[in-house]
Amino acid sequence: MKRREFLNFTVAALMAAPMIMLGKDFRKEKPDAWTSKAMDDAIKKVYGDIKPVEKGIKLKTPEVANNGGQIPIGIKSKIPAKTVAIFQDANPEALVGIYDVMEGQPVDYLVKIKMKKTGSVTVILEGVDGKFYSAKSSFKVALGGCEG
Amino acid sequence: MKIKAKQKGDIVKAKVLIKHDMLTYDQAKKKGKEANFITHISAKANGKVVFDFSTSQFLSKNPLIKFSFKGAKSGDKLEITYVDLKGNTKTESKKIK
Repeated sequence: MKRREFLNFTVAALMAAPMIMLGKDFRKEKPDAWTSKAMDDAIKKVYGDIKPVEKGIKLKTPEVANNGGQIPIGIKSKIPAKTVAIFQDANPEALVGIYDVMEGQPVDYLVKIKMKKTGSVTVILEGVDGKFYSAKSSFKVALGGCEG
Repeated sequence: MKIKAKQKGDIVKAKVLIKHDMLTYDQAKKKGKEANFITHISAKANGKVVFDFSTSQFLSKNPLIKFSFKGAKSGDKLEITYVDLKGNTKTESKKIK
């Protein structure tokens, strides 16, 4: 009996799996952005020709990243957001990731990224109000994280 | 995958550690392997998507992500799914504390 329940559960879980991706897949929506090498170009490919205001986002990065393979990037904002994107200028391509912010959900993120060398990280927030906001942080990377 | 989720007031704080090599194109070339990295991470609670992240090769090896969300409480389940470049999908869930 227990075994059957388990089997049923597994089948149900397998069937449910493809249904889960309900957020926007930006790899399909903006395929060009992921191969852009320069930061400006990548931002343009995601958002178009925008002039973001530099305010409203708390971007937390280390001053010196000892290990370029594990750099924590913290993003917090009270601005109601549609999307939040992370870019950097130390790796072969600029785009790191895009959050699709669900309606009413807070912007409070942390993600560990890798960077090849010293550089900067730019975060762009697309507000529900249709405006764009940004934050930038430059820091040193002691040991590059893309070699390993 | 390691998932931790805890209710704090009207939000739930989540921490997810995924075991994945996150092999970039450059690294793969050097090692003579095929590049493979997580391309999408999504979280669901009470039938709703609460977190969604399209990702690239530049997330760290065994990436750690943290996020906060509304719409769930202690005892509910948080379900995390990821997909990588090769199309491998993994879903795991955890009870919110």
